[in-house]
Amino acid sequence: MSARPVVLKFGGTSVASAERWVEIGRIARARLGEGRPVLIVVSALAGITNALLAAMRDPKPGQALPELLKPHHELRRALRLSDGAEWEAAVERLRSLAAEASDSLAWQAEWLAQGELLSSRIGADWLARELGRCRFVDAREFLIAQPIPNQSERASRLSALCEVRPQPERRERLFGTGPLAITQGFIAAHPEGGTALLGRGGSDTSASLFGALLQAERVEIWTDVAGMFSANPREVPEARLLRELDYEEAQEIASTGAKVLHPRCLDPLKEAAVPLYVFDTARPELPGTRIGTSPPRPGVKAISARHRVTLVSMETIGMWQQVGFLAAVFDIFRRHGLSVDLIGSAETNVTVSLDPTENLLEPGTIEALCKDLASVCRVKVIAPCTAISLVGRGIRSWMHRLSELMRLIGERRVHLVSQSSNDLNLTFVVDEADAGDLVPRLHELLLRFGLLEDDGAVFGPSWKSLYGGAASVVRREWWREWRERLLEEAALGTPVYVYDLATARARARELRSLAGLDRLLYAVKANAHPALIAAFAEEGLGFECVSAGELKRLAAALPGLDFERVLFTPSFGEEADFALARRLGARITIDDLGPLRRWPELFRGQSLFLRIDLGRGVGHHEKVRTGGSGSKFGMTPAELGEAERACRELGATIEGLHAHLGSGIFDPDHWREVGAQLASLADRLPAVRILDLGGGLGVPSRPAEPGLDLGALSAALSELSRLYPRFRFWLEPGRYLVAEAGVLLARVRGLKRKQSQVFLGLDAGMHTLLRPALYDAYHPVWNLSRLDEPASMRAHLVGPICESGDILARHRALPETAPGDVILIGLAGAYGAAMASRYNLQPLPREVAW
Amino acid sequence: MRVFRFLDARYEAGEARLVYAFDGGPELTESLRFPGAPAVPPERAEAFERALALTHWIAGVSYYKAFAPARIECATAPPDPAVAAALERIYVEGLAEFSFRNGIDLRGRVRFPSAQGSGPRPSLSLPRRTLLPLGGGKDSLVALEMLREVGEPLLPVWVGRSALIEACAERAGLPAINVDRQIAPELFELNRQGALNGHVPVTAIHSAIMVLVALLYGADAIAFANERSADLPTRVIEGRGVNHQWSKSLDFERLFRTMLGGWIGAGIEYFSLLRPFSELAVAARFSRMRRYFDVFSSCNRNFRILGTRPASRWCGECPKCHFVYLAMAPFLPKPELAAVFGRNLLDEESLIPAYAALAGIAGERPFECVGEPVEVRAALAALAEQAAWREDAVIAAARRWLERLPPPPSLGELLRPSGPHHLPSRLESLLDAPH
Repeated sequence: MSARPVVLKFGGTSVASAERWVEIGRIARARLGEGRPVLIVVSALAGITNALLAAMRDPKPGQALPELLKPHHELRRALRLSDGAEWEAAVERLRSLAAEASDSLAWQAEWLAQGELLSSRIGADWLARELGRCRFVDAREFLIAQPIPNQSERASRLSALCEVRPQPERRERLFGTGPLAITQGFIAAHPEGGTALLGRGGSDTSASLFGALLQAERVEIWTDVAGMFSANPREVPEARLLRELDYEEAQEIASTGAKVLHPRCLDPLKEAAVPLYVFDTARPELPGTRIGTSPPRPGVKAISARHRVTLVSMETIGMWQQVGFLAAVFDIFRRHGLSVDLIGSAETNVTVSLDPTENLLEPGTIEALCKDLASVCRVKVIAPCTAISLVGRGIRSWMHRLSELMRLIGERRVHLVSQSSNDLNLTFVVDEADAGDLVPRLHELLLRFGLLEDDGAVFGPSWKSLYGGAASVVRREWWREWRERLLEEAALGTPVYVYDLATARARARELRSLAGLDRLLYAVKANAHPALIAAFAEEGLGFECVSAGELKRLAAALPGLDFERVLFTPSFGEEADFALARRLGARITIDDLGPLRRWPELFRGQSLFLRIDLGRGVGHHEKVRTGGSGSKFGMTPAELGEAERACRELGATIEGLHAHLGSGIFDPDHWREVGAQLASLADRLPAVRILDLGGGLGVPSRPAEPGLDLGALSAALSELSRLYPRFRFWLEPGRYLVAEAGVLLARVRGLKRKQSQVFLGLDAGMHTLLRPALYDAYHPVWNLSRLDEPASMRAHLVGPICESGDILARHRALPETAPGDVILIGLAGAYGAAMASRYNLQPLPREVAW
Repeated sequence: MRVFRFLDARYEAGEARLVYAFDGGPELTESLRFPGAPAVPPERAEAFERALALTHWIAGVSYYKAFAPARIECATAPPDPAVAAALERIYVEGLAEFSFRNGIDLRGRVRFPSAQGSGPRPSLSLPRRTLLPLGGGKDSLVALEMLREVGEPLLPVWVGRSALIEACAERAGLPAINVDRQIAPELFELNRQGALNGHVPVTAIHSAIMVLVALLYGADAIAFANERSADLPTRVIEGRGVNHQWSKSLDFERLFRTMLGGWIGAGIEYFSLLRPFSELAVAARFSRMRRYFDVFSSCNRNFRILGTRPASRWCGECPKCHFVYLAMAPFLPKPELAAVFGRNLLDEESLIPAYAALAGIAGERPFECVGEPVEVRAALAALAEQAAWREDAVIAAARRWLERLPPPPSLGELLRPSGPHHLPSRLESLLDAPH
């Protein structure tokens, strides 16, 4: 048989239940159906290797036999397998090994290998029954560990290395009797006889060794996630599935933090040019990751972070450039058994990083190392640090597109930058305290600047959209049902904003139903259209205003409004503004102490809110505190004492604290943390009873992206109110309530081609919708005139303003579009008309509310 | 407000209600709920009633301070003269920081009514078991582990809601009791209207609550985890020591033991297990208890904040954080300690003045429960000798301070147990154990 086989590898959880074996059978059958022989490589049943390890440390491993065998017997029973002679021989082997227990490493390796031997025997029996024939192969007949000079006996038995070269002729030995075979991961033959183990991640390595040896068509690693992602999905749910990587990139991502693959398993495949796929056993329909020799596609593919990194900074004392200085230094690391990872060097300093290995955390290690180093240099230990890596081929040529990311990283104290000549990664080491949200924020920037955008060739769906569960229900856009009416509206004149009040009300009701929330304020600045204001008033919302103009708008739109429902939070407000707020009866937020000092009479005896800037003084490094946020809003927690004194002198009460840290936030824990921080600040202010957590509730900007998980937000808020019964919690969203309710209709005035670029000129531009120019915001667009036609072109949508930044959307797929067509720009209900200007003396857009 | 009144204290079906009022004003009711509480055994019923009265009086301090009036009245049976005198001390000393901050001298102002008592109390017979009040910080966890090591039957207890303590109790893996304490909501209302506010002797209140727990659930010992550093005044103002943590001091411990024997009866040991230990000795023990590292916090600012990230457990800005970090540093590998806190406080230049204050070099000793200056200096001196630490900003600064001072005692000296304590004889072996 000469067809190239497929190697399938299944991990511990994938082989531990009867249902999963049914899935394995289905996958194997499908591959056989392609006319390819199939070799299945399996791990031990989940938990068995650990149990073998524990039993091994016991003086009488035999006592653990019943516990070790139980899951295997249960699996056989669930698969309805009767115990044949081969199974009994496998069990007998385990028993006799238990009886022969010794300290020898050869025995240990043999004992630990039994998990895979048992699971593969079960698999062989079941596959033979289900698929006709399945050959049980002892991996040790094929994989022989490589002796390495200076290797310890322990390493040669328990974390051995194998090297293979393609020998397609050995396919015959595997598949001579039939196209299906099963073997063990993790184990190999020791060159001197007996068993050797391949160490951590060994089963993946086995699969790739077999793949290389047999010159397979491909190796498929079946695991519990659909592949590698652009960031750790637990930290960044928006991380995108990486559909295609080359070996070096994948290896780099695996070594800088991703746990899906062991970095070691890619080497043999690279040599043999066999591609590797990662798939999710539970979700076989998902696309997965392909790793191979794809043509280099430059750019950032992933961001990873390694925490608890320790830096050792060595300041030379006159020895630099002396022959042997670095050798002496590195020899000291070697002597203490510490392996150096990153290196940065300058004329007078060498700094290296150490990963948090067991050895490093052993009492005495670091001190002994530093004592020795101190004899050749001045040494300083910097910890805890986080190493943030941007990974991707050709990253140097992309540096100019990463300026925003560099700015964000540069706000931290960067201890070390490293970039190797193979140009696969750019790594920054920063204080761990400053790294908290860095990966999510960097990833968000990559998304915002479209750096993770292509036609799906590399960047697949987000983890959240694949695994986000119930929260990822995608809402149908309201305007799809109103296409004709929208086209009629556009015929009356464009550009025009159209607002759907029903959608706005629906958002308001959703938020009103959050448990633990006392009051919901609408941030009027997002959209001050009177119809929206009236709708929210009817839904029982309060309002947040930032100017006298907004207060007047409320008074005009809602005659008889009780201004007790209104919070006035101006930035550098004027005396007249505060006087108006007071006359109307609105609650007032003080953003700094200036107004209290300048116009004390306005505030005497009043109840006030204080706006706190939690971005400062909360666990961050000094440089972040001063340079970081650069935000003009709020007072620092350190100023609270003074504020309290100032209020007391005026007989004013501090009834609330208010914080608003940002926008576009999807992590419900954010508000929990803000609440807890405000609550602990309010501990010192007995009159406070309201904590306003601000807004910033995220709105997904891409159609497939799931929204904010309201269930989780509700849980976070109820936990707050349970823990801090003294306070009432308020939220003040703006964009969340109105973004989806509004669309902007614009007409195509012309089409221009420049080389490969296509520009569609619209009558709407940055003067109509400023968000793309101001925040690099992404707004979805559709050709409303040709909604049902397939996309056939890519174009930039630009406006009529004399500014190069007058771009509403870049590189959008659209049907063949012609002048006169109506373009619909989605998610335009917030900060659209509100920010429109008459720049270039263009007219303001019309606004219509339905 | 002219009169503070003790109106009523009753216990029913697992809930104690303590009622207070000012003048003829509205009732202020504090509630204590004891989860799954068994019925009070008849032989302890009288002791329990008396313990309830004691709790009523002691917990009253939180309300009394709102206006600190010159008169106190009891609508319930008043204390005997000895207890009345003890209560007056608890109010005056326990509110010392409060009176300093609010400019009110309480000495001679707090006067409890009293009536002659009925003579000595009978001894109680309670099962051998030690109550261990949990604080969510390292101290009570160290006490817990010390007792567990010598096989003492234990019942961890904590008062009030705290996710942090809950997490610590769970990590300890022992069945525990959480007493729910609800302060009268009207007190917050009074505070809003400008009532006086400040620090109250929480440990005194919790001590009284522990007596109720011991009688209800059955325990013959209450082991707090207060250290000898709690005996030191945090500041001396006009010749008078103001001790932020007076109710954790040996002085209070003695007072409470006498009150307990005289008012409730013999049979309940009340003591602090850590009294003979320095803060450093406690930190040294704690640095071996790795299982708590990812849940515990001694930080008062972040006290109730949840989260597994170090920054959500340690604010890194308060003296407590600064001290605990320093005290553990000599006993843990630097990378490990830094990971527990999520940052290296000893390498932050902005914290040099804070550490100078802790070491008694410059500035005022903070109003917080932290170790003695001599312990701080000894720890700094030890780190100055370690190659892994000596270049850190605070240690580099400390090297200069230490040059000008007589050498501090060695760490070993500070780790040895010493000084007075009330450990029951069955636990004295703990004093001989290696640190």
